[in-house]
Amino acid sequence: MNKEIIKCRRTDDSCVHVKHKSGLDIYICKMEGFSTIEALFGTKYGSINTMFKTSEDKEYTTVPEGIAHFLEHKLFENEDCDVFELYAKTGANANAFTSFDKTCYIFSCSKNYAESLKILLDFVQKPYFTKESVDKEQGIIGQEIRMCDDNPEWRVFFNLLGCLYENHPVKIDIAGTVESIAKIDADLLYKCYNTFYNLNNMVLSIAGNIDVDDVLKICDECLVPCENKGLETVFKEEPDKLVSSYHVENQPVGKPLFNIGYKCTSGTLAENNRASSELYIAAGVLLDSSSPLYRKLLSDGLINADFGFECFYGDGYSTLIISGESSEPEKVRDAVSEAFENAKANGINKEDFERVKKSAYGSMIRELNNVEAVANLMINSSMEGVGPYDAVEILSDMTVQDAVSRLQKDIRADRMALSVVREQVTDK
Amino acid sequence: MTYNRSEISDSIGFSEIIDCKFKTNLLKINFITELTADTAAENAVAAGILATSNSNFKTFTELNAKLAALYGSAIYAEAKKRGDVQILSLCASWLDNRYALENEDITAEMLELFSDCIFSPNAKNDAFDTDSFNIRKKDVLDKIDSEINNKRSYAISQASKIAYSGEPAEFSCYGEKETAMRVTEKSSFEAYKKLLANARIEILFVTAQHNADVAEKLSGSFSSLVRNEINKCALTSQSAIKDEIAEVTQQLDVNQSKMVMVFKSLSDDYTALKLLSTVYGETPFSKLFANVREKLSLCYYCASNYVKSKNTMFVDCGVEKDNIDKARTEIINQLDEIKNGNFSDEDIENTLMSIQNSLSAIGDVPSSYTGWYFGRFCEGDCRTPDEVFSDYKAVTRERIMNAAASMKLDTVYVMAQKEVQD
Repeated sequence: MNKEIIKCRRTDDSCVHVKHKSGLDIYICKMEGFSTIEALFGTKYGSINTMFKTSEDKEYTTVPEGIAHFLEHKLFENEDCDVFELYAKTGANANAFTSFDKTCYIFSCSKNYAESLKILLDFVQKPYFTKESVDKEQGIIGQEIRMCDDNPEWRVFFNLLGCLYENHPVKIDIAGTVESIAKIDADLLYKCYNTFYNLNNMVLSIAGNIDVDDVLKICDECLVPCENKGLETVFKEEPDKLVSSYHVENQPVGKPLFNIGYKCTSGTLAENNRASSELYIAAGVLLDSSSPLYRKLLSDGLINADFGFECFYGDGYSTLIISGESSEPEKVRDAVSEAFENAKANGINKEDFERVKKSAYGSMIRELNNVEAVANLMINSSMEGVGPYDAVEILSDMTVQDAVSRLQKDIRADRMALSVVREQVTDK
Repeated sequence: MTYNRSEISDSIGFSEIIDCKFKTNLLKINFITELTADTAAENAVAAGILATSNSNFKTFTELNAKLAALYGSAIYAEAKKRGDVQILSLCASWLDNRYALENEDITAEMLELFSDCIFSPNAKNDAFDTDSFNIRKKDVLDKIDSEINNKRSYAISQASKIAYSGEPAEFSCYGEKETAMRVTEKSSFEAYKKLLANARIEILFVTAQHNADVAEKLSGSFSSLVRNEINKCALTSQSAIKDEIAEVTQQLDVNQSKMVMVFKSLSDDYTALKLLSTVYGETPFSKLFANVREKLSLCYYCASNYVKSKNTMFVDCGVEKDNIDKARTEIINQLDEIKNGNFSDEDIENTLMSIQNSLSAIGDVPSSYTGWYFGRFCEGDCRTPDEVFSDYKAVTRERIMNAAASMKLDTVYVMAQKEVQD
């Protein structure tokens, strides 16, 4: 088995990558001095993958919204017992999550990692769905959906995506709706499982207090080789323009919440990754807590410490999202837009750019000193088709011109939307 | 890892925790003071301002520009409560000098910056600078207003207010809106001076290698303070159990109802009480998860949490309005099951493994060390996670049953989906 050692030449960090004979990509990072182990076994299957086919299918299959998340819940039950009961015997803390483009099964522990790893690899490869167990889960997930509906941060975010995207399923809630999950049955779950839970479409990432060879030995024992079935996922064509530039939802909230979003050009995942690095630094110069705009918005009482921004991207979508709390989010939007247009026309200050780069470099060093963050970094980068330490290199090589060009390419006032959640104003 | 605690004075402690695996440093200064309706907000504002500016970096922007240039170093404030006590913390985090690209002495610069924030704030004539004050006052007011945004934590907070009515723990660590509105540049500066003079101060420093400069600098600054009589705060205090269960329902325009049940105990077998709560509802194989969620499909979450500082156990769940009574019955039923001994030795063993797993993870991030050793300070010892785990291992089935039997339902708070009127 060929063990590829991947090194970060600027920090001396390293990890091992193995393309396992089963088809699985395995990333292992031994971290000296740490007690814990974090393992993620993930598939490139999330809420956006609602239309797909393999080389065995003639036609594309379309499945109900929320099925990837439903499948994640159901995989925790195997034929004999609940998977949590198995982990209970090792002491590991087990969990899972479904995002827009991936589903990951996780455990963290400080003892008995070999046993926990065997449980992880075993249960994810052994689906067991019945009508009864599917019906039972409708109630639990129904409550999860309702809980999210009461989360104003969640609502303001999805309302923004609804403004930005007309066709791309990123606009759909990860858990689907009570109505959409009612259409899910055991056969559909098996169809999705057999399509996406193919080891050629999956990644194992494990970091912390482990032994590389022991991990690989367990993988040899537990992984069942898969034939690559040429999975294709597709999305309806997405226009450049917005659906809407403004959306307000009323909820019981103390302070109005806002998300300002720019719909950016989307390329391959690796291209989106690089573009986001450039955009994040450029946005940092204009919006972070050392920027003149931040100071002005703060002094004018338009934002508070919750103000922030992120690049949110994936397969077929790429955005810059600025979020916070404000009584006058429209004024924040206008000020942000003006700052971006000004930077596109006049560039950004080199000293500010270097300062933001240094700050981002510091964040990356911190990330590499955290077991959970390293395990997540390895699986995320692998699924995006880049190396785990590429971000450090991209950052080091980035120039002011790269950042300004990115602003000029991706930031357009006519592709900016504002989403607000505020308390309903009633006339007295 | 090495841990050393020394005393700068009889009410100021300094702990250095050295662990060579870390690439960052964390310095945390905790001010421990009484939680009162009158002082909570001004203390929170005062601590917040200290992280906003100092006499050399007079604006938030200037300070943050400097921190960004120091590889994204951070200075921030936290306000928390622990039982009847308010804890105001000032924290600084920075990269170890080994990772400086241009050989900067990040540690020395951060020590100077942080020290100025505490001992040389941006103030004159016994009042904080108005800009810095306005930023932090607004933050505190917004935090109070925004509490309702997170429905789960809001429900728990409402239940706390009812359960601890008449005790300091009923107040939020940010205070109430009315008192926060009245805080001024002068009153918050006065609160800052009182914290320096009267609060118990506990400093924790996590670093990759021993650094005498940090202890020396802080020791010099803190020992020169004029200290008055120190606040004698009870870090653990028994909450009185109500004669009748307090039942409060609040109608809100929400999609999912929330229920919080507060149980109180008079037992002093704290280790057994914590173990009880873990068996009952703190893991995915606990009684509440297995029955209320998995068996009856009533909730997405239904969990317990034991608060030792008030000898109280919270159970909270998100549930359809029509199922509230059903969930309440099952939550009580599962506690009765434990009280009656209807749980296996395997349940105990698995719970112990889960606790051991959590305790063994302490030390993998710098903040876990500061959390652990500050917690130990509050408990009055400096035991290691292994030593504490040995207490859990000694708990018998009978002690868990007795702990369950000692739990009395004190408060039930329900956030109910508002009725739709035709």
